[in-house]
Amino acid sequence: MSDPGPLISEDDLHAYVDHLLEDDRIPVVERHLRENPESAAQVAAYSAQRDALRAAFATEALEPVPSHLNPYLIRQRLTSRRNAWRAAAAVVLAFGIGGSGGWFLHGRLASSNSVITVLVAEAVANHVVYTTDRRRPTELGAEQRDDMARWVSNRLNRPIAPPDLALAGYHYMGGRLAATSHGPAGMFMYQNEQGVRLTVFVRPVTNGGTRPLEIIGAGPLEGGAWIAKGLGYTVVAPLPAGELEQLATRVQHLVESAT
Amino acid sequence: MLVRLINRGRDIILDCHDTPPKTGSFEANPSGRRQTSKASSGSPMVRMEDCIPALRRYAMSLSRDRDRADDLVHDCLVRAIAKLHTRRNEADMRAWLFTILHNLFVSQSRRRKVRPDTVVLDDIHSEAASHRASQEDRLHWRDMLRGLDRLPEEQRTVVLLVSVEDLSYAETAAVLGIPIGTVMSRLARGREKLRHYTDSDARPAQRRIK
Repeated sequence: MSDPGPLISEDDLHAYVDHLLEDDRIPVVERHLRENPESAAQVAAYSAQRDALRAAFATEALEPVPSHLNPYLIRQRLTSRRNAWRAAAAVVLAFGIGGSGGWFLHGRLASSNSVITVLVAEAVANHVVYTTDRRRPTELGAEQRDDMARWVSNRLNRPIAPPDLALAGYHYMGGRLAATSHGPAGMFMYQNEQGVRLTVFVRPVTNGGTRPLEIIGAGPLEGGAWIAKGLGYTVVAPLPAGELEQLATRVQHLVESAT
Repeated sequence: MLVRLINRGRDIILDCHDTPPKTGSFEANPSGRRQTSKASSGSPMVRMEDCIPALRRYAMSLSRDRDRADDLVHDCLVRAIAKLHTRRNEADMRAWLFTILHNLFVSQSRRRKVRPDTVVLDDIHSEAASHRASQEDRLHWRDMLRGLDRLPEEQRTVVLLVSVEDLSYAETAAVLGIPIGTVMSRLARGREKLRHYTDSDARPAQRRIK
């Protein structure tokens, strides 16, 4: 106390408590604390306060983050909402204009194929509605995979099971029955680590013959559809066309090898 | 996400800094000096994701209600993502997110015109309490939170941002939109009141000064 030393302010004491003091000020403040029991008691009390508050709220930041706070899913929902009207318009046009459609969906291959266009439009409409649903994106969850397969198989009158896309990084979330103007369709939903949701849509197609895979863009989404053995398949996801094509091809192989 | 667990008694620090812990040389400074400038890494979405645990903690410390806290964080993220492309300077994602969250909390509180409900500590932190903390710690935390609730909101937010969220004084000033001098005076008043409320002096000092 005899030597007043350099001036120590209240701010210095707080910065010391908060570990925000400049390095060269630390020894100066520490000397002050040794010489001034009142300041030392003040600093000890503030440090204890700081420790107690941090400890009291520590677990809050250690809890797993719930999926509705996943920023990738939030971004996807925002994008989907913004583009929902476009997808809805695509469906109306697909059914309204029929064979001459295709100008609104930019076909990557020559899209003269109205059946494929309709399949993609149906799948996109259902994808937009269900993948953005916060509480109930699927009717039957991943753990009811067998029930889902039975349900769709019964309604479509042929054996159909959700393809396994885990190797491609997409985990099965569940599925549901969807409605189209051509009757019921099976819809299976998947999600990857980044929260990107992909759907596989399947429904019977009469007189469709066999059509090869075609990729069609609809706003932020890409859809890939093909027809095999009387069934129309569509894979939809908010992915670049090339990536979607790879995934659709994989689904195609899985379906072929299963039947 | 960088999770730093400093097992010194019960000091758990989790933040979205890219700051490696530095070892302090002085006993009263066990967790080392903090760095205020940190290198940002990863895409904006990744850095945003890294901040979510801290945002949830801050929202919880403000609202003391899990659902309301997560609603706040959700609204904060929606706004941030919608505005992300307009941001040129992404230097401090964390301060930006805290600013959005804080403004949402303030405008909602004005609408509600009520103070956050007080929840006893055991309800919020039963897990932590049962695993790590002694009875004495729990009582101390409860006293501390009760004291915190008695502080005027302007002091409470400064104490929380600085003490719990590790924001620098300049970052705190930016988040709250006030001068740094005001941050310091609110911090000083808040801490002194809290000391008075909780009567810390009656307890043995946890950190002994050489």
